[in-house]
Amino acid sequence: MSTADIRRVELIAHNRVEKELLSVLQESGLIHLDSPADLEAGLETPSADVSSFDHLLHRLKRALEYLGGWEKKGFKAKMSAQKPRLSPSDQEKVLAFDYIGLLDDIEKNESERNTIRSHIQFLQKEKAYLEPLEDLDIPVHSVCPTEETELLVGMIPSGRFTAFEEAAENMPLFVDIIHWTKRQTHIFLVYLKKEREAVEQVLREVDYHYIYFTDPILEKAEEGDTVKDVRLKIEEEIRKAEKKASVLEEEGKKLAIHRERLMKVHDVVWNERQKASSSRLMGKTERVFVLEGWIRSKDEKKLARSIRRFEDDVQMYTRPPLLDEEPPVALDNPRGARPFEVITKLYGLPQSGSMDPTLPLAPFFFIFVGLTVSEAGYGILIGLASLIFLKWAKPKGGLRQFLTLLAILSLSIVILGTLVGGWFGFPVRKFLILDPLSDPLTFLGLSLALGFIQVWVGTLLNLISEIKNRNYLEAIFVQGGWLVLLPGLVVYGIFKIPAAGILTLFGTAGIVLFGSPSRNPLARFFGGLYKLYDISGYLSDILSYSRLLALGLATGVIAMVVNTLCQTALGIPAVGWLMAAIIFVGGHLFNLGISLLGGFVHSMRLQFVEFFSKFFKAGGKPFEPFSLESNYVEFVSINAVNEDVRR
Amino acid sequence: MELGMTLAIVGGAIAVILGGIGSAIGVGLAGQASSGVMTEDPGKFGSLLLLVALPGTQGIYGFLSAFLVILKIGLVGETVVSLTVSQGWQILIAALPVAFTGLVSGIHQGKVCSSGVYMVAKQPKDLMKPVIMAALVETYAVLGLLITILLLNGIKI
Repeated sequence: MSTADIRRVELIAHNRVEKELLSVLQESGLIHLDSPADLEAGLETPSADVSSFDHLLHRLKRALEYLGGWEKKGFKAKMSAQKPRLSPSDQEKVLAFDYIGLLDDIEKNESERNTIRSHIQFLQKEKAYLEPLEDLDIPVHSVCPTEETELLVGMIPSGRFTAFEEAAENMPLFVDIIHWTKRQTHIFLVYLKKEREAVEQVLREVDYHYIYFTDPILEKAEEGDTVKDVRLKIEEEIRKAEKKASVLEEEGKKLAIHRERLMKVHDVVWNERQKASSSRLMGKTERVFVLEGWIRSKDEKKLARSIRRFEDDVQMYTRPPLLDEEPPVALDNPRGARPFEVITKLYGLPQSGSMDPTLPLAPFFFIFVGLTVSEAGYGILIGLASLIFLKWAKPKGGLRQFLTLLAILSLSIVILGTLVGGWFGFPVRKFLILDPLSDPLTFLGLSLALGFIQVWVGTLLNLISEIKNRNYLEAIFVQGGWLVLLPGLVVYGIFKIPAAGILTLFGTAGIVLFGSPSRNPLARFFGGLYKLYDISGYLSDILSYSRLLALGLATGVIAMVVNTLCQTALGIPAVGWLMAAIIFVGGHLFNLGISLLGGFVHSMRLQFVEFFSKFFKAGGKPFEPFSLESNYVEFVSINAVNEDVRR
Repeated sequence: MELGMTLAIVGGAIAVILGGIGSAIGVGLAGQASSGVMTEDPGKFGSLLLLVALPGTQGIYGFLSAFLVILKIGLVGETVVSLTVSQGWQILIAALPVAFTGLVSGIHQGKVCSSGVYMVAKQPKDLMKPVIMAALVETYAVLGLLITILLLNGIKI
């Protein structure tokens, strides 16, 4: 129930083993590095320059993204994709090839491909621009003014074309329709320059839009080439560019076989960077350096073993943390309770030296989720889904812990679902010990009783932690007072046993006499009396557990509704069975989703608000050992030391 | 007798309508906020969906209560029970707790969730914290549902 014992560790080593020692520390992953507590005179902190690493990492990441585009896609491929494996001792080998050259090749391929792709886009736009003008059968270069006349190509909205025709009738104007669509009409115009003003006036009125041949088009057009000729030339150019692009893409695909190697390079370089940046935590002199940090006391021997080979070059000292030091916090729970750490971590790690609430919350959380979901069929589905996912995708870290938690909880859902719920809305009468729909009051009583137990346990834990903090009087008389008052009150209220009543009075006396820290007897008495008012807090906390009934009922009733709808659907002729099947599957999946979400979140809230508030103080900083970090690859170690650390 | 039945049906209808309005507004608020966040970061769809769906429960509680009313007065089975006027009133009033707590808590839960959406936009790792905050609001809808169920269960027909 307490967190792992953490000790301060100090390594003093000769400068010549700096690199090697850091590698060993990183591979063993046991030390949480920290800056030296007090830098003595003469110790320097080297400035760590990691910018060259960062630049390289950026290039690697980009190249990996580009190559990733050529990988096989699809849900199945993604899900079952295994990270490449790498043993820490092979790190040097990974870098032993010309990866910079490879990066250059990849970057060249990418930039050339992008250039060609954007050129193709440009050509396609040009082609689209020329397409409506294709039927213009005079050469492109002759569409320019002569001495006397003006030659123009342009476009008029088709709706305005009749208006234009009417206006043009009385003018010395030659008009030829090149291309007509419902929206636009492309025309070719010839008129005398001296008539320009009158013509332009008309053109403005009908929203005429000038079209010019751009320079790239004019360049492509040889003497005598019509628009159609130019378009054909552009098409030819597009074809050539496409061919070039596809050659480059083939090359890219070939480069993609190096992806795995580059992934390894990325992670190795990343860890090199971490090593380099950790040197800013050192204290250095000309010959030696100091490295300080935190270590779990059970790992001390392992660390000593892993640095034994440096013999005379490294000295290691450990000591318990000083009073004014705040060591990082690592949770340390038995295997079965470990998945429940997810919940504790969400609220915040306990302060160093204080109690870890994971173990006491685990049984309650287990039961609460079972009661709120209370559908054995859903439990089976949840359990199967999380186990399959765990087996198949092999997730790591937090997700793995969460899925394991779900698998454990599904057990509770199946058991309690059979006892107080049903299988997909059908209660199994033989095993049913309590039907919440026909007997909600008993269920309510059960919920409140569970709440009472948890609140009582919370108070007990508070007593224990107060004793640990040496607040004996407060712990025994006030917390102890509540511990006898609450059950005494309940037992006396229900069974009217006088002994319980007397117990209640003892508890009350303890709270009244020791509840207030004041030395003035009168103030102390009234302060203590006021402390009794806390009973309203206990009452509302316990009543809050009635949500277990409400959420449990909701699941059962919605499952019943789904089945009733199914029955109604079965009455429809011919397609009834199909609709019933759809409603059954969809309805129950929907219910599973909302009841699992509700059950999980509300059970969690009961831990955070009602349980933790009694005894738990969060605010510890996490114990994060200096270790090999992996982004793309998975580090598989040969020696058992590492395996245990990264569990 | 006719009036009693009508009153009971009104009760069921109110539970669905008010709970549904509360959830619709709540989910709407959270949905708007999350669409805004997703324009910047489409990858957050999964985690934001959770926050958007959360204010939806009030509507389900209302629906559930209405269904209990329907069961109670036997509208789905073959035998429709005959209700006195006062029994009708009892059922109507029994449906009110879930209706009103659902309406108000749905709207406010939506507000909490939409702020939570902004929080997740900046702190993607802290998804569960706004979810818990939202669950604090939902408590009162859960309590309303609980009382409605207990009342409906207690009414003798």
